[in-house]
Amino acid sequence: MNQLRLTEDEQDCLQELINVAMGQASDQLARYLDSFVYLKVPSIESVDADSLATTLDQQQSAMAVVSQGFFGYEGIRGEALLVYQDEDSERLADLLGYEPDELSKDEQLIDISSILTTTFLNVFASQIENQISYSAPKLLPSRANSLSEHLDQLTFNWDLALKVNINYQVTDYSFNCNMVLLIPETAINNIKVVLNRILEEL
Amino acid sequence: MNPAVLICDDSNMARKQVLRSLPEQWHNNVQTAQHGAEALTILRSGNIDILFLDLTMPGIDGVGVLQGIQKLNIDCHVFVISADIQPEMQSKVLGLGAKEFLRKPIKPDVLHANLEKHGLL
Amino acid sequence: MNPGVLTDEISKKFAEKLSSKITDQLNTGILIVDTEFNIVMWNSYLQVHSTKVSNDIIGKNIFDIFSELPQRWLSRKLASVLQLGTPNFCSWEQRRHLFELPHTRPITTDCEFMAQNCTFLPMQDDGDIEHICILIEDATDVCHYQGQLQKALDKLALMSRIDGLTQIYNRKHWQESLEQEFAKARRHEKALSLIMFDLDNFKHLNDHYGHQGGDEVLIEISKTIGSLLRVEDVFGRYGGEEFAIVLPETPIKGALELAERICQTVEKSTITFKDKDINVTVSLGVAQLSESDTSFETLIMHADDALYLAKNNGRNQVCSAKTTEFLQQASA
Repeated sequence: MNQLRLTEDEQDCLQELINVAMGQASDQLARYLDSFVYLKVPSIESVDADSLATTLDQQQSAMAVVSQGFFGYEGIRGEALLVYQDEDSERLADLLGYEPDELSKDEQLIDISSILTTTFLNVFASQIENQISYSAPKLLPSRANSLSEHLDQLTFNWDLALKVNINYQVTDYSFNCNMVLLIPETAINNIKVVLNRILEEL
Repeated sequence: MNPAVLICDDSNMARKQVLRSLPEQWHNNVQTAQHGAEALTILRSGNIDILFLDLTMPGIDGVGVLQGIQKLNIDCHVFVISADIQPEMQSKVLGLGAKEFLRKPIKPDVLHANLEKHGLL
Repeated sequence: MNPGVLTDEISKKFAEKLSSKITDQLNTGILIVDTEFNIVMWNSYLQVHSTKVSNDIIGKNIFDIFSELPQRWLSRKLASVLQLGTPNFCSWEQRRHLFELPHTRPITTDCEFMAQNCTFLPMQDDGDIEHICILIEDATDVCHYQGQLQKALDKLALMSRIDGLTQIYNRKHWQESLEQEFAKARRHEKALSLIMFDLDNFKHLNDHYGHQGGDEVLIEISKTIGSLLRVEDVFGRYGGEEFAIVLPETPIKGALELAERICQTVEKSTITFKDKDINVTVSLGVAQLSESDTSFETLIMHADDALYLAKNNGRNQVCSAKTTEFLQQASA
């Protein structure tokens, strides 16, 4: 398990890649949403398999979770979870530029999640000269323990989770969500290979 | 005479990326700082000609450094290199006296072009 | 021309031919539109399913050809693909279908059109996104089975709450409801009453008419009493021939009136089993939640004590719990 941990250099490199990806993603988002997106530096934590559920449970007051798989070359793959508190999902239709009666609340959550995940990961991928495909985003059933059930039923055993706290403030209102990237062991090793290649080039 | 350079970024990798983009012969006159406070200390004590400055850092951030430079009347060329690239941020730092706003990750040819533009290369 | 180039050319042509063949044999609809949403290309699958003709649609706007599409919403969605260069999705779970296409299970399913999963992919040419590829996948089967599964789950959920014989709530669900009503009454400082009752001399009845006769009595009594209750009352089979009714927002006076009515109605009604008339009576105990009741179990205990009193006093009657008396007795 220990060799899965990132070294200080690898962690720094990954953080920098994520910062750049997040910066470019929010710039694109701001243009698309036609409003200023104020972005706080995303804080990144790596969470191991055992403690993720507990970490998220602490904030589990009526939340919604949208999951979306991603897979790229060189065995880089995983699943992105976007975790919302209930109050964060108000007015999303407005933000996305839809009329409220054009789509359900579920659809709004799925739409914004997919946009956040794919814009972010696309920029991330281009930085490491990769290309990522996505599966269709899915809203997990809104039951109290649906997240932990979902974590138990994933198609792969994930060993490391990167929890990226994203806080977007869009002009006159803000919404918060957590993006959690679940990554299986083999993919971690593949990411480490890529990170070390970047570090060596420097 | 090679200019005295300071690279301020909390990320080790980002500092290396900037360093790698600089002309070889400048390398022996480059200092680094990991956050805004450290950068201001170096700026106050020495003659730094060019500062490459990140914006988002713990403690005193890039905007804080730019404000400090104005307040202390320090004469140096500041190039902001940032991940946060929204137009509002760009106009803010240019308003605070930065010479250029460059987006991360920094590419050698972009950096060279901008140094040339300001007669530093 | 050297042979290598020739082989490359041939294999390239062959690959192109092959991929166009595959495109036309896929069980997925493919539709490509430009940045103005004009149709550039489609595959056989769509042609077959939409019963439209290629000549009529190529170069035409997608919203003119497929007038069923929600134009404003879909335009915004497609705009996100063009502007952000990212894929976008639409699942049957949120929207059953976008395109009105027939499906292959018209008899066994109840939906009119093919349920679809749609994917909108950016197609990059020299850096710029010039086209969007729309993939349409048939999800009718999944949708159908999901519907069946949901029906089964709903049925199971209902069954887990219902007593098989009498079709009223079983003890487990009844008790959970009492627990909730107890908490609600405490929180909002509302009255809450409870009636516990059982059939008098049920053992004799079973001995005399057999268990089937006894069952018939339980079924009929449940029906009769059920018709006397309000929707918010929770009527459950507590066990054997013992029943219980939770009465939210009801003080003891109302509960006693209802208990009396139940007592008289049961006494007056006759149950016919195998051409024989059966007459039964019930004994009832009533209690209201009091300040000193620390849990819902205490309330059950008081109603049960009152029921015991009614039995001891000669059956076919209603008794009320004298909560304070019990407390005094306990402390004496």
